[in-house]
Amino acid sequence: MSDLPKKLAGLALLLVALALPLVLTDFWLQTGLFVMATAIGAVGLTLLVGVAGQLSLGHAAFAAIGAYVYAWTSGETTGSVAGLGLPPVVGLVLGVGAAALVGAAFSPVAGRLRGIYLGLATLGLVFVVRHLVVNLEDWTGGFVGRSVQSFALGGFSFSNRDPDYLAVAGVEFEGLHRLWYLFLALAVAAVWLAANLRGSRTGRAWANVRDSETAAAAMGIGVARAKAAAFVVSSGYAGLTGAMLALAYGRVAPDVFSLTASIDFLVMIVLGGLGSVAGAVVGAVFVTSLPLVLAQYSSSLPFLAAPGSGGLEASTASRIVYGLAIIAVLVFVRGGLAGLVRRRLTRSAAPSAARTPVDDGQPAAVSPPRSKETTR
Amino acid sequence: MPPPLLSVEHLDVVYDGTITALSDVSLTVEPGQVVAVLGSNGAGKTSLLRAVSRSLQPYGGTVTGGAVRFAGQDLAGTDAADVVRRGLVQVPEGRRIFRDLTVAENLRAGGYTVRDARARAQARDRVFDLFPILAERRDQPGGLLSGGQQQMLAMARALMVSPQLLLLDEPSLGLAPLLVDQIGEIVTEINKQGTAVLLIEQNAVMGLRVADAAYVLETGRVTAAGTSAELSASDEVRERYLGVAAPVVETETVRGEPAIATAQPPQQLRVEGLTVRFGGITALSEVSFTVEPGTVHALIGPNGAGKSTLVNVLGGAYRATEGSVHYGDAELTALRSDKVAGLGVARTFQNISLALEDTVEDNLLVGRHRLMHRGLLPGALKLPGARREERAHRETVAGIAELLGIAHLLRTPVHTLAYGDRKRVEMGRALAARPSLLLLDEPVAGMTHGESQDMADTIRQVRRDLGLSIVLVEHDMPFVMGLAEQVTVLDFGKKIAEGTPAQVQRDPEVLRAYLGASAAGDAAA
Amino acid sequence: MSYFLEQVLNGLSYGLVLSLIAAGFAIVFTSTGVLNFAHGSIVLLGAYLVAVLHEGIGFWPAVLVGLAGAALVGVSINAVLVRNLADKGPDTAAILMLGVDIVLLTELTRRIGNQVLTLGAPWGASVVRLGDISLPTGRVLAAGVTVVAFAGLWYLFSRTDLGVGMRAAAADGPTASLMGIRLSRTAATGWALAGVLAAVAGVFLTSFPAPGVAPTVALSALAAIPAWVLGGFDSVPGAVVGGLVIGLTSALVTGYEAQLEPFLGTGFGEVAPYVVMIVVLLVRPSGLLGSKEAVRV
Repeated sequence: MSDLPKKLAGLALLLVALALPLVLTDFWLQTGLFVMATAIGAVGLTLLVGVAGQLSLGHAAFAAIGAYVYAWTSGETTGSVAGLGLPPVVGLVLGVGAAALVGAAFSPVAGRLRGIYLGLATLGLVFVVRHLVVNLEDWTGGFVGRSVQSFALGGFSFSNRDPDYLAVAGVEFEGLHRLWYLFLALAVAAVWLAANLRGSRTGRAWANVRDSETAAAAMGIGVARAKAAAFVVSSGYAGLTGAMLALAYGRVAPDVFSLTASIDFLVMIVLGGLGSVAGAVVGAVFVTSLPLVLAQYSSSLPFLAAPGSGGLEASTASRIVYGLAIIAVLVFVRGGLAGLVRRRLTRSAAPSAARTPVDDGQPAAVSPPRSKETTR
Repeated sequence: MPPPLLSVEHLDVVYDGTITALSDVSLTVEPGQVVAVLGSNGAGKTSLLRAVSRSLQPYGGTVTGGAVRFAGQDLAGTDAADVVRRGLVQVPEGRRIFRDLTVAENLRAGGYTVRDARARAQARDRVFDLFPILAERRDQPGGLLSGGQQQMLAMARALMVSPQLLLLDEPSLGLAPLLVDQIGEIVTEINKQGTAVLLIEQNAVMGLRVADAAYVLETGRVTAAGTSAELSASDEVRERYLGVAAPVVETETVRGEPAIATAQPPQQLRVEGLTVRFGGITALSEVSFTVEPGTVHALIGPNGAGKSTLVNVLGGAYRATEGSVHYGDAELTALRSDKVAGLGVARTFQNISLALEDTVEDNLLVGRHRLMHRGLLPGALKLPGARREERAHRETVAGIAELLGIAHLLRTPVHTLAYGDRKRVEMGRALAARPSLLLLDEPVAGMTHGESQDMADTIRQVRRDLGLSIVLVEHDMPFVMGLAEQVTVLDFGKKIAEGTPAQVQRDPEVLRAYLGASAAGDAAA
Repeated sequence: MSYFLEQVLNGLSYGLVLSLIAAGFAIVFTSTGVLNFAHGSIVLLGAYLVAVLHEGIGFWPAVLVGLAGAALVGVSINAVLVRNLADKGPDTAAILMLGVDIVLLTELTRRIGNQVLTLGAPWGASVVRLGDISLPTGRVLAAGVTVVAFAGLWYLFSRTDLGVGMRAAAADGPTASLMGIRLSRTAATGWALAGVLAAVAGVFLTSFPAPGVAPTVALSALAAIPAWVLGGFDSVPGAVVGGLVIGLTSALVTGYEAQLEPFLGTGFGEVAPYVVMIVVLLVRPSGLLGSKEAVRV
C-alpha cells in the first residue's frame, strides 16, 4: 500500500480544519479545542501503550502537572496564589518539560514493570498528584483551582481580553478562533512527531520490546531504557495536553485531572486501535465530544430529560453510550477503528488475498497472528 | 470387524491461518496396541497429538481437513474435556506438571473427571503401584521432583482416569539413558494392563523398541509406516533416525578477505566450568569448550540436553550459576543481554521471535539498532542526519535480504510468511547486526530436507562472505556433520564428547546418548 | 494508648474487608487473566441489592440475593463479554472492564440518585466495648465473617476437586484442560467467588460506621487495588496480607492526621495506600507473596 492516499487524506483533513472556524459557532469551536487538546494526549499514550506495550493509568497526573506548571509559571502573583509571570510560551515549554521530568523520575518503576503491572503502579500517581495539588494551595489554588493566563505570542494575544480586531472573510477572529489555530498547529506538530517516531529506530525498538523483551535485548536494545524513554515521551505529550486544557478552560482545578480522565485517554486509544496515531485522534474526537454534544443538544433529543426531572439525563446517557461503545468496539472490532479501516483497505487492494479458511466444527478463532512463538 | 480405537484420516492442521503443520496424515491405533510416531523437531508430531486431544486451539492451530475418530466416533465438535471423559488422555511434552501443587494434588487434578470415589481410589492405588516413588513423595510440591520423577508424575496424572488410549508426547525428553529405558519399561507395563498407547518420540530407538507399529513424520507428512521390525530394518530410517552411517562431508576451509566487513574480527569464545541451575534442576553442569575465531562450532545433543540453556547464557538472557564465558577479553556472564549484543554477538531463537505485524524490512532494521546512532529527537524531527542514516541502513538491509533470498519479501508483513521464510528473516536480522559471533539456535528445526540443505548452504556462504564465528546448536546430527569444524556434544547438561565431526560420530558415549543404553550396547557388541 | 489500639483494631478490621475485595481481584486475575476494573461496581451492586430488598424480604434473604446477584453479574460478564473479546489479551480485557464499570456504575448511580440508602443491617449502629476500647459491631462482625470466608477459601482450594482443579487451571490452563478440567467452568467459578466476596465486602463497607449505600462505595473499593498489588497479583494469602497492611496504614494515617498534617498535608489517608504500593513495587515488582514470572526463551 502506498503512502499517497494517506497523505492526501491528511492534507484534506488539514484544509477542513483550517476552514472550520469560519463557519462554526462558539460551542463547536470550544468542543474542537478540547478535542485537539485531548487528541495530543491520546497520541502520546498510544506511543506508550500501543507501540511500547506499557499500560499507563497515570496520564491524568502528567496532564495535571503540565496544566499547573503552566498556570504557575505564566500566571501573575495575586492575593490567593503565586505566579512567576513568565511569558506564556516559556510557561508552555516548562509545563511540558516538568511533566516529562516527572515521567523520567518515575522511570525506574516504568523500566522495571510490564504492561498491566505498570498500569496499576501509575494508578497511584493520579492520587499522589491530586493530593499535592489540593495541598499546595499557594501555587495551585487548592480545591477551587486558579485562573490561567491566556496565551500570547510576541504581543499577539489568543484571548478576548485584548481585542485587536482581526477578521478573515468577514468572520471576526476572536479568542476562540485564535486558540483554534494555535491548538491546530500544536496538534499537527504532535501527530507529525509521533508518526515519525513510530517509523524511526526508536519506534522499532519500542515495538520489539513490546513483542519480546528477550529478543529485543538480544538485538542490543536496552530494554529498561527503551521503556523509560517511551514513558517520558508520553508524559511530555500529556503535559502539553494539560496546559492546553488549562488554556481552553481558562482555569485549572483538580477535578479535571481525575482518574476518570486517565481512563478516558486509555479508552480513546483503544477505540481508535492500539498503536495507531490516526486512531488515537479519532478516539479523542469521539470520547471528548460525545458528552459535550449530548449535553448541548439534550433538549432536542426526545429520549433525554432535563436535569433534575428524574428521567434519563444527558450526562447519564452519554456515560452509558460511552461505556457501551467501549464494550462494543472491544467485542466486535479487531484492532479498533484503525484495524477496521486497515482491513477494508487491504481487502479492496487485494481481494484475492486468501487467508486459509477454517474449519471442522471448532469455534473458528483464528485470532490475529500475534502469538509470539511459531509452533509446529 | 470393530472399528480401530483411534483412526486419523487425511488430517490437515494449520497454525495462525498460514503455517501448515500437518498435511494428509493418516494413522490407526488398534485396541491394546503401542504405536510410535517418529520424527525430528518440528516434524508436526506434537500438532498431531494436539489434533487428537482437541487442544490445538489455545496454540492458534486449527484442523482444516480430514477427521479424527475415536472408537468409531468422529471427534469434530468435541473439546479437550470431552475427549478425556471418553477415555483418551494426553501427557504433554515437557511433562508440564503443576509445580506448585503437591504430588497428591497433581494426581487429584488428573482424576478431576472421575466422580466415583471407588474408581478413583483404585486408580490411585494402581498408579502408586506403578510408581512407588510418587507414593513416597506425595506431599511434596511437584516442582521439587527430579526430571525422571516429573515424567512419572505426568504419566501417573494421566492414568488417574484409567484411559483406553494414552497419548505420550516425548516422554524420554531430557532424560538420562538409564531413565529412558525405565520409562520404556513403564510404557510396556501400562500397555500390558490394557491401555493402548500412542507414543511420540524423537528417540527412535526407544520408540521402535516399545511400539508394535510406527509411523515416520517429516515436515507434516507421513513418509514411512509399518511394524517396528520393518521400520528398524529400513535403510532410510536407520540413516536418518538411528544415526547409523551419517555421511561426513569435509568442509572446505576458506581463508581470505570477507566480502562484507565485520564490525570487529571474531574473537576466541571460551566457556569455562559453566553451571546453570533453575530451582532444583541443573540444566548445565561444568561445561567447558573453546570456539576458535572464524570457525563453525556445533553444539549437539538430544532434546533437553541443555543446548538452548547454553545459548541463552552466551546471549546474556540467562545468568550462569557458576563458571565464566569470555569473548575475547570481555566476560559475557557479567553483562546484560543488550551489552552482549553490543560486543558483536547476535543470535536467532529456537521459537522464532519476530515482530509479526511489521514488515520484513523493519524486522531486519531492528538488527541494525546497535549500529545506528540517531536517537529519539532526531528521529522524531526527521533531521537530515537521521534520514540519511535510515536510508543507508535500508540499503544495507536490502543487501542482506538479497544474500538470504528474501529480497522480494522486504515489504511484506512477517505474519503472512511461511515458516522457512520466517527462519530466514530471523537469520537476516541477526546478520544485520554485523556480528562477529553468530549464535544459531536450531536453524533448521521444522524444515524439509531440501530446505535445510539450502540453509546449510546459506550458513556456509555467510561464514565465507562475512568471516565470522558461528556457534550452531542442533540436534540433527547429519546436518551438523557437513557444516562444523568442531563439535561439542552435550547430554543431560554435561559435555560428553568433543572433537571433529568424524571423531564425535564414532564416540561410544555419543552413541549411547543418542541411541539409548541398550542400543549403545548393541553397537559396541 | 487505647486510642492507638482502637485505631489498630479499626485498621485491621477494615483491612480484612479490603482483603475480601483484593482476594476477588486475585481470583479473577488468576482464573481468567483479567484485571477486573468493574470489581468496585460489583461491590456496590451487592450492597445496593441488599438496600433495596431488605424492607420487602428481610435483611438476611436480601443478603443472599445480593451475593447471588453479584456472583451472577460477574459470571455473565465473563461468559458474554470477556470470552468474546475480539483481541484477547490482558490489556484489552482490562479496558473492557473499564467500559463495563462505566455502564454499571452509571446505572447504579442513576438509580441511587442523591440519596444514601440504608442497609437495614440488624446490628445497626451498636458498638462493642472492650475495656476502654470501643468498636462498631459491624466491624467486629466483618472481621469474624472475613476470617470464616478465608477459612472457606482455604478449604476449597486445598481440599476439594473443584479448588484443586482451579489451581491447576490457573497454573497452566492448556495442560489442565488435558486433564478434562473445563476452563470455562473454573473461570465461571472464579468470577462467581469474586462476586460473592465483593458483595460481602459491600455489606460491611456500607453499614455503620459508614453512612449507607452511595456511589462512592465503588471508589472506596479501589483502595483494595493497592492491597491486591501489594500482596502479589496471583496470591490469595497475599491479598490478606496486603489488605491488612493497607487497612492499618490508612487507619493510622487518618487517625493521627492532626499530628501528620504539617508534613503530609490534609487527606493523606486516601493517598497512603497508593504510596505504599508504589514503594513496594519498586522493591519487589511481583508483590510481597506473588510468584515471580519466569520467562522461558
